[in-house]
Amino acid sequence: MAGNFLAAVGASVLNLCAEVGGILMLLFRVLICLLPPRFDLDETWRNLHKMGVRSVPIIVLTAFFTGGIMVIQAAVFVKKFGATSLVGWGAGYAVFREIGPMLLGLMFSGRVGSNNTAELGTMVVTEQIDGLRALSIDPVRYLIVPRVLSMIVMLFLLTILGDVVAIVGAALFGTVLADVSLASFWVSFSQNVHVADVTHGLIKAAVFGFIVALTSCHFGITVKGGAVGVGRAVNNAVVAAALGIVLSDYLLTYALP
Amino acid sequence: MIHCDGLSLQLTHRPVLSDVTWHIEAGSVWGIIGPPASGKSVLAKTLCGLFTPRQGRLTVDGVDLPGLPEPDRVKVRRKMGMLFQNNALFDFLRVRENVSFPLARQNPEMPHHELVARAQERLRAVGLSGSEEKWPSELSGGMKKRVGIARATICNAPVLIYDEPTAGLDPVTTSKIYDLLTDLRRKHASTVIAISSDIPALRRFVDHILFLHEGRIRYCGPESGLEACQDPVVYQFVRGQTEGPL
Ligand SMILES: Nc1ncnc2c1ncn2[C@@H]1O[C@H](COP(=O)(O)OP(=O)(O)OP(=O)(O)O)[C@@H](O)[C@H]1O
Ligand SMILES: [Mg+2]
Repeated sequence: MAGNFLAAVGASVLNLCAEVGGILMLLFRVLICLLPPRFDLDETWRNLHKMGVRSVPIIVLTAFFTGGIMVIQAAVFVKKFGATSLVGWGAGYAVFREIGPMLLGLMFSGRVGSNNTAELGTMVVTEQIDGLRALSIDPVRYLIVPRVLSMIVMLFLLTILGDVVAIVGAALFGTVLADVSLASFWVSFSQNVHVADVTHGLIKAAVFGFIVALTSCHFGITVKGGAVGVGRAVNNAVVAAALGIVLSDYLLTYALP
Repeated sequence: MIHCDGLSLQLTHRPVLSDVTWHIEAGSVWGIIGPPASGKSVLAKTLCGLFTPRQGRLTVDGVDLPGLPEPDRVKVRRKMGMLFQNNALFDFLRVRENVSFPLARQNPEMPHHELVARAQERLRAVGLSGSEEKWPSELSGGMKKRVGIARATICNAPVLIYDEPTAGLDPVTTSKIYDLLTDLRRKHASTVIAISSDIPALRRFVDHILFLHEGRIRYCGPESGLEACQDPVVYQFVRGQTEGPL
């Protein structure tokens, strides 16, 4: 009984180490392709479009309501203590530093990362990766590097867009629900929110994009066992990306100014 | 042309090929047959360097393939065109782009109109004119197979490997495909290796047979000698009997 339990724990730990090792190996291979940068531009362009442009609606929607919800939550206390001069600052600080990158990162992982894992996994299962290798095309250079670059760039840009939309959402909800005029929201926002708050969040966004990219590509190209394997890989990729985002958020919050 | 000496290969800690010794002369036409999961596809992929054997030697035109690092395998792979069992059509490319893809990769300077013309010519040869702008997901199984053949043959590589070129096709289309493959072979004097479970059709096409069972060679010789082979597995398989070791 205890032996079984120990064996199960041991197997999970070994499994975890194998996956982390695989992700680090992939990172190494991606870096090799980037020094000096040699990768497929067409493929990069295609991915930028697919991952970025098509994610705009969902990101805008999420960001708008996130900004709004924060003000709704705060509205009770703002009214009670008459702290209207803090709403703009509170919304900006929280959105830029934490909620924006984190929530959009998770959203991005769910929409783009999982799609990416499924796509690469299907390519493995249908021998497309073998087909590329048979033509002496390095799948990492041709498929993975463009995806990693696209995800970093796009999550970064989408976070900028999301930040703006979230602040607009917060300001609108503030006017309607917390009786905070647009002018006082703006004064509080512009006087207390600093460039450092924005860069803090954007650095996080780029790191989260990198994490989503590496995990989703790793689980995609290591798929084993047909369609069932693809499903399992998507599941693992989303869990791993979420864990990676939360952990690195914790570390970055300490490390960044 | 291709020489395997005592090749052994393991995948996920299980032996898949054991002690395969096989010599393919330039210009010969080989058929690989055998029960499911006997290692036919793995052997074909090993020949173009997609799997690295654990033991034994594999040389292509005198070059030791497993000894080459992945980037240097280009030179050897350029000599080969391969049709995969699942066709391996790139689903992010249209049919025409799929077919011209190997050509475009090997000849980066080739002008676009020439790529298009070559792809169209090849698609016409497999009876698929008019499907150039379709996506692979819009094709039937047999059409995908034929696009795969068009892609495998577009570079006129000296060695052609077809993994199940006629699986799931009707007898008429099967005959047409084999006629096409024969034509191509005559025109370019290529060496051909074909894997198929449609034994009668395959035997009309090839002049040598390799029989694999559980990763081991059970028969390796002229097509005409298969009938006389007394190995019980080969005997049963070729005659399609239900009684026997299989
Ligand atoms: N990438 C792989 N990883 C691990 N095992 C594999 C892999 N590819 C094939 N195998 C195993 O190798 C064995 C031989 O497979 P292979 O695909 O060569 O069979 P086959 O003779 O082509 O069969 P079929 O006629 O069904 O196509 C099988 O047991 C299979 O499970
Ligand atoms: Mg097979």
